[in-house]
Amino acid sequence: MISFQPTEDQTLIIDTVAQLVGARVAPGVRAREAARGVEPELLAAATELALDGAGYGAASGGQGLGLLTALMIEEELAASDASVAFSLPGFMPFTVFLDTLLSEEPRAQRMPELLRGERLGALAWSEPKPCAERPGMVTTAVTAASGYRLTGEKCFVGNVERAEELLVLAQLQPEAGWAGLGAFTVPQQAPGVRLLGRHATVGLDAACFGAVRLDDVAVGPEALLGQGAALTARLAEAFARYSLHVAARQVGLTRGAFELMKGYAEVRKAFGKPIAQFQSIAFTIADRFIELESARELVRRAAWAWDVGKPAAQCLQWSAQAIATAHELGMRAAEDCVQLHGGAGFIRDVVAEKLMRDAKQLALCGYTAAQADQLAAGLGLGLALDPATSLPTPDTQAVFT
Amino acid sequence: MYEFELTTQQQLLKEAIHSLGQSVIRPQSLGWDRAKDIDQGFLRNFYTMSSALRGSDNPLEDFNEGPKVRDPKRISNTNRTAAVGAEEMAWADAAIMLSLPGPGLGAPPIRNSGTPEQKERYFSIFRDMSEQLRWGAYGLTEPGAGSDVAGIRTSCVRDGTHWVLNGRKCFITNGGRASWVVIFATVDPSLGRAGHRAFVVERGTPGFSVGKIEDKMGLCANETAELVLEDCRVPADALLGGESAYQSKEGFMTAMKTFDNTRPLVAAMACGIGRAAYEYATEFVKEHYLLGRPLPRYAAIAERLARMARRLEGARLSVWKAVSMADHGVPNAREASASKALAGQVATQVCIDAIEICGAHGTLREDHALLEKWFRDIKVYDIFEGTGQVQRIVVSRRLMEGLERF
Repeated sequence: MISFQPTEDQTLIIDTVAQLVGARVAPGVRAREAARGVEPELLAAATELALDGAGYGAASGGQGLGLLTALMIEEELAASDASVAFSLPGFMPFTVFLDTLLSEEPRAQRMPELLRGERLGALAWSEPKPCAERPGMVTTAVTAASGYRLTGEKCFVGNVERAEELLVLAQLQPEAGWAGLGAFTVPQQAPGVRLLGRHATVGLDAACFGAVRLDDVAVGPEALLGQGAALTARLAEAFARYSLHVAARQVGLTRGAFELMKGYAEVRKAFGKPIAQFQSIAFTIADRFIELESARELVRRAAWAWDVGKPAAQCLQWSAQAIATAHELGMRAAEDCVQLHGGAGFIRDVVAEKLMRDAKQLALCGYTAAQADQLAAGLGLGLALDPATSLPTPDTQAVFT
Repeated sequence: MYEFELTTQQQLLKEAIHSLGQSVIRPQSLGWDRAKDIDQGFLRNFYTMSSALRGSDNPLEDFNEGPKVRDPKRISNTNRTAAVGAEEMAWADAAIMLSLPGPGLGAPPIRNSGTPEQKERYFSIFRDMSEQLRWGAYGLTEPGAGSDVAGIRTSCVRDGTHWVLNGRKCFITNGGRASWVVIFATVDPSLGRAGHRAFVVERGTPGFSVGKIEDKMGLCANETAELVLEDCRVPADALLGGESAYQSKEGFMTAMKTFDNTRPLVAAMACGIGRAAYEYATEFVKEHYLLGRPLPRYAAIAERLARMARRLEGARLSVWKAVSMADHGVPNAREASASKALAGQVATQVCIDAIEICGAHGTLREDHALLEKWFRDIKVYDIFEGTGQVQRIVVSRRLMEGLERF
């Protein structure tokens, strides 16, 4: 039966997160941005509450509350600061991807330490340039006697400076194009791995994105987590799941922007009355509310679909629709938030300008709206999934992971 | 708990309507549209069939029995089922949904505010329609007051045991064929909402006549009429809810309660028309080629289809949320208006996009006539039951309680 009622557990969890947000997240938004990182005390508090493990199954060391609950937590955090979740292990793409790509036994072995924050990883997907010679990654993995040797450069990698391990996507079968990828885990301390520094980004300053170079890095055969068509299908699922996390952050940011602009419009006076009394302003606020509700339920329905085990194609399509909608509407809300503040919105005294910068950057984490639309279109038209368009490849738009 | 699955009953209802729509309704849809009427035999058969299907959660509320006494501990599913059914009916043909025999939009105000005697009197005429189909109607809009309900000018003056009504009502769905119409009037326009009264005016009442039957852009098979009240005398017991119901602003609230119930259903219908157009464009794209390449290979077309689909999905979820709140007894005025604003706008754009995707073919009234019809039908869904702008007024006032009148 159609229902939009959170469970008692979900309500309790969200109340707890809201308290954490009020006490620790909201007061430090600008300080966090200036420090370009999330304060360890906040990370410790979030870890203590095991917030980022809520969505994972018990076998992975999580609480088994499902993706929907995890995304409710994401929204609540991001309504105050969308950058925080990037530093929580369970919400990192490396963790989401590993949980999706690993089979049962290695998942049970590896996931708990990740969720406890005892070991951090980073997903090395994007590259500085598309490959000019053939479809696929520039980074290659060549079979060697003792395993594989990886060479190439990865960029837009989240938490690359903190990560002890990288999940590197490289071209294993050059002739197979995007269907010829291999996924490898690479210790960051491995010989040949070199950090190239942190990117200066337009938004999400407290989240860290950087680049890494791999020069003939040797890994054993156990480093290969998957390859070929089977990997491609799993990668699409992993990207969809991770991108739903980001979409939930975008919904949270949208909510933050909506509340900020509404509050301002109710008190800011022009021509002798609050600007909310002008229809153009009131309608803008109403539209952003209507869109916020719509985006939120699309995100939650997609998460619900994954949780209840709907067919993969259905989950992917609903996820893609939710992701594209969240980013489209989030950007609009953030821009309107600045616009309604007028000149004040452009000044850093008000957080509106940060929301607009963060919204743009969020929209480039995981699937972009355009890529998600391409994925959904393919599924809607009943086309076989082409990895060139069903994955957020550097051939279309480079994305942050 | 979050849940997006239809119940078995809802799924069966959806499939039954879909099947009927596909095999029976759509083949006749264009003929009815051009004839500006729906075959009475079809309506009778449809009514008989739906009567057999009636259950507590059936969208075709069982008016024969009058209003049901609901167990307050049992959460109703009626509004959700109605939304599912309304979308599917509109997918088949939106004009039928509006033309179905029964009390129509007149039902909610009588159900919400009528006395037990009034409910029996006005609903009982629908008890047996085997020989003659009957309709009820809802008369609120006037030439000078559309969505601005508070601005109605049709007057009502107490005269002994009767009320005397004067004014004109316009854009009244099934107004010309209705056995009775719920008419909203005012005892004194200067009193605003407090001056409003609602009456049930029966056909044949002296001074009550049908004016112009409108020639519309879309929904042509459904009748839209002008109603004229000239010194129309109605008995005092036609005052909906009786005198005691108007000690406060109840007159106005009766109208508003109706909208809270019906706006999400209108929005659901918009989703149905939009979905029909989206599916049509999708099939068109699959079957056509440009420069030797299948159309889906063109990213611009594929992306536009994807946008159409996700916007419709978002609109449907907003409808479902509004009706779910209604079923739980949670005030939903804001969400009802939000769903109507979103679905009306989204579905209109989807129909425009569908025509655009099909190119010149999409505008033809022969080869692609259904698409052309949906394009004409959909626009009014962003207008009736309150325009998109009026919905935004409602939403913004509900968001910002201190907001004065614009």
